[in-house]
Amino acid sequence: MRTYILRRLLYAIPTLLGISVIVFVITRLSPGDPVRLYTFGALDITEADIEALREYYGLNKSLPLQYVDWLGQVVRGDFGMSLTYNRPALPLLLERMPATLQLAFAALLLQLAIGIPLGVTAALRRGSWVDNVIRVFGVIGHAIPTFWIGLLMIIFVSVTLRLLPSQGVLTVGKDMWDIGDRLRHIIMPAFVLALAGIANYSRYLRTETLDVISQDYVRTAHAKGLKNRSVVYVHALRNALIPMVTALGGLLAALVSGALVVEQVFTWPGVGQFTYAAARSKDYPVIMAGVMLASTLLVLSYLLRDIVYAMVDPRIKVR
Amino acid sequence: MASQHSRTPRLLVALLGTLSLVTAACGPAGPAGGAAADSQEQPVQGGRLISGSFSDIQRLNPATSNDATSTQVSGKIYDSLVTADHKTGEIKPWLGKWTVSSDGLTFSWTIEAKANWSDGKPIIAQDFLARVKMQARSKVTPNKSTFNDIEGYQDYSTGKATAISGIVIDSADPKKFTVKFTKVFCPALANVFGSAPMPDHVFGKYTVDADVNANVDQAAENNAPPAASGPFKFKEWRKGDQVILSRNETYWQGAPLIEEFVLKVVADSTVAAAQLRTGELTHGIVQPGDVATLSTAENVKLYKWPDNGYVYIGWRVNNPNVAFLGDKKVRQALMYGLNTDEVVKAVLFGEGTKQFAHHPPVAWAAGTNLNQYAYDKTKAETLLKEAGFAKGADGTFAKDGKPLAITIVTNQGNKTRETFLQVAVEQYKQIGVKITPKLEAFESLVPKLTGGSPEVEAVIIGWQLAADPDPFTIWHSSNVSSPAKAGNNFVGYSNPQVDKLIEQGRNGPDCSQGARQKAYQEMNKILNEDVPYNFGFAQNRILATDARIRGIEPGSFSPNGDWNIHKWWIKK
Repeated sequence: MRTYILRRLLYAIPTLLGISVIVFVITRLSPGDPVRLYTFGALDITEADIEALREYYGLNKSLPLQYVDWLGQVVRGDFGMSLTYNRPALPLLLERMPATLQLAFAALLLQLAIGIPLGVTAALRRGSWVDNVIRVFGVIGHAIPTFWIGLLMIIFVSVTLRLLPSQGVLTVGKDMWDIGDRLRHIIMPAFVLALAGIANYSRYLRTETLDVISQDYVRTAHAKGLKNRSVVYVHALRNALIPMVTALGGLLAALVSGALVVEQVFTWPGVGQFTYAAARSKDYPVIMAGVMLASTLLVLSYLLRDIVYAMVDPRIKVR
Repeated sequence: MASQHSRTPRLLVALLGTLSLVTAACGPAGPAGGAAADSQEQPVQGGRLISGSFSDIQRLNPATSNDATSTQVSGKIYDSLVTADHKTGEIKPWLGKWTVSSDGLTFSWTIEAKANWSDGKPIIAQDFLARVKMQARSKVTPNKSTFNDIEGYQDYSTGKATAISGIVIDSADPKKFTVKFTKVFCPALANVFGSAPMPDHVFGKYTVDADVNANVDQAAENNAPPAASGPFKFKEWRKGDQVILSRNETYWQGAPLIEEFVLKVVADSTVAAAQLRTGELTHGIVQPGDVATLSTAENVKLYKWPDNGYVYIGWRVNNPNVAFLGDKKVRQALMYGLNTDEVVKAVLFGEGTKQFAHHPPVAWAAGTNLNQYAYDKTKAETLLKEAGFAKGADGTFAKDGKPLAITIVTNQGNKTRETFLQVAVEQYKQIGVKITPKLEAFESLVPKLTGGSPEVEAVIIGWQLAADPDPFTIWHSSNVSSPAKAGNNFVGYSNPQVDKLIEQGRNGPDCSQGARQKAYQEMNKILNEDVPYNFGFAQNRILATDARIRGIEPGSFSPNGDWNIHKWWIKK
């Protein structure tokens, strides 16, 4: 097991390097000049000042040299200075990480808590109107763009009904540790972020449950006289959930990256919102750090998935 | 770029950015102004002001920051020596009083005797020197050249000198100092002395006279300033969400009545308007499109005033791809052929006025007796014919077989400008000019403009003007943008006569407002005749606040209307 993990981690290095090269090239080749943007509107700036800034940020060097410089820094844990904030890029992003993780975990919880019962119910009531409603919801939930449903919820829930706050993490004037207030803020963004996942899970679990309940051991359990509830939730669900682990793999990373849009709409001060703003102001160090952070998360979560998979399914062994 | 704190007269000359809350529009105030509050009311202390912003602050040290949101907040923490009159834009004494030598080169300053930092230390001449020095040695500041004309500054900046010879502190009175310039610079009052003094006892240690590499860039106090000279003190920065300031009880102008100022980040103008209605925000600049809904909300009060800025169509007069735009007659035809009043109605719901030259009417430098270019289709077509164009079978003008076709680009996401562009396409079609509309992201458009890219034939964009009317960076021929040299004169306008007038207004020798006004009026007259821009419209800014806030006295030279925030109070 240990060698397996080690080997997988080693494999991750060329993957991440590849990603870094691609993103590096794309960000530098896309139109826009960070120094011009950063100094835009400065009243008395001279061409010499602009050159000095380029030099300071190493932007006057050739592209390959810039990449080598960047890589050299990154190996030492330094992702460079943000042009916008004049602070090291990585700590700036990590500062935003808790907010994003809160949102991602809240969304994950909602996905499981709503998606699983929906899927099981649909399977057990196969063909009924309940099943149909859940299936239609599955398609819609998947198809609706998050920003749109987000805006709609803001208008309806926050402005018309005034039930929940629409922006940020905390009401102005509230204590940093006011959990109740924080919960009220997280409900809407977490739900919007979870929506596609809920739809996914319910569909997935419906199929799996249908598969499992036609198996012999389920019939045996029924024959033993066990209550229906206990057959479904104790015997069937457990096995139906195994393939779900596969879906869980990329989920965290998907949530973190999917949070970009949701964070934007709800002004949630997380990594996604921050990286988006950096992309708009061409703040290269922050963009690179953001992408590398998300990629690393993705790679790690896939590894985690494979390990967990081996743990829950005795038929699979990692070597 | 949104908005700056008005007390800092060093307002930026800025293209209004994509996320700009700006885009205001009307004339006089809407419902009664705060100043006219019931005389029965007694000001009370307490309460919190929650101001909406589309972006978070970036840096709280004004010596190294450039963005409007940071400036708005740091301007409440650090007071400047001078202030711009909120109504006229005239520069007036604030934290300091000055006299100027007869040759116009030396300014003698005295800082207000009772002015102290919030930690009790007096505000002294050394604090202004500290500001100049930290900016000289910073590697990241975009404002390094602000003090270039102060004697000895550049040598100090590069490390050739260990002191700035032009700034001399009175040995007898630490509140007195003189600043000597190498040449007459008329905008100095606003542009140089508008830079707030910074507490030397906090930041002084970071700049070392003998070490050119020691600088303030990484100082922890940059983003958590411990001492304030302005009405508010820094309290907390909840990154990406809110910035909280609390009242400075020892403010030299008298402690503010409002307990806390909070800058709250919101997604966009739609959300801002919604939050003003719910009371989650109590202060924010809003769009003309939101006025109808907000004016029906009982808890919201609206203030409107004409902005010191405008949105225009810039014609590239030096681009061979559209060589005909170099012809004054064609540009005049494009002025006559656009019904700006209709544009203002369609784009700004009537909240703006047509503009005919560079300075908006609110500025003292504005031109008089200008040609108003009243909408006249026939005149437009006549001018085009005089320019050698003839109408083809498809109704489009052409010359030498080439149609009169122009691509106009604007920045994507700015609804005001996108609508303006749509209307322009329709209207110009009626006079036989073919416009191809193009949208481009702000971040990729800006370098094309300031780099003189031949891709740009015409552009719709805006200027937010500074309190000092110096138009040097926008209209002087030395600022024509090209791939080799960036500049804000991105239409490529070059006119020796205009250059001379701009130089007169900038370098005197007579820097009196009267003399400068004369030069700028003449310049505006020429621009009005030459119309290198279709000058478009000056918008009104619209401020929405909680109806209980008293004491608001808005003016065109206070972009957020908060120049006197230390006197505001909230009715219980």
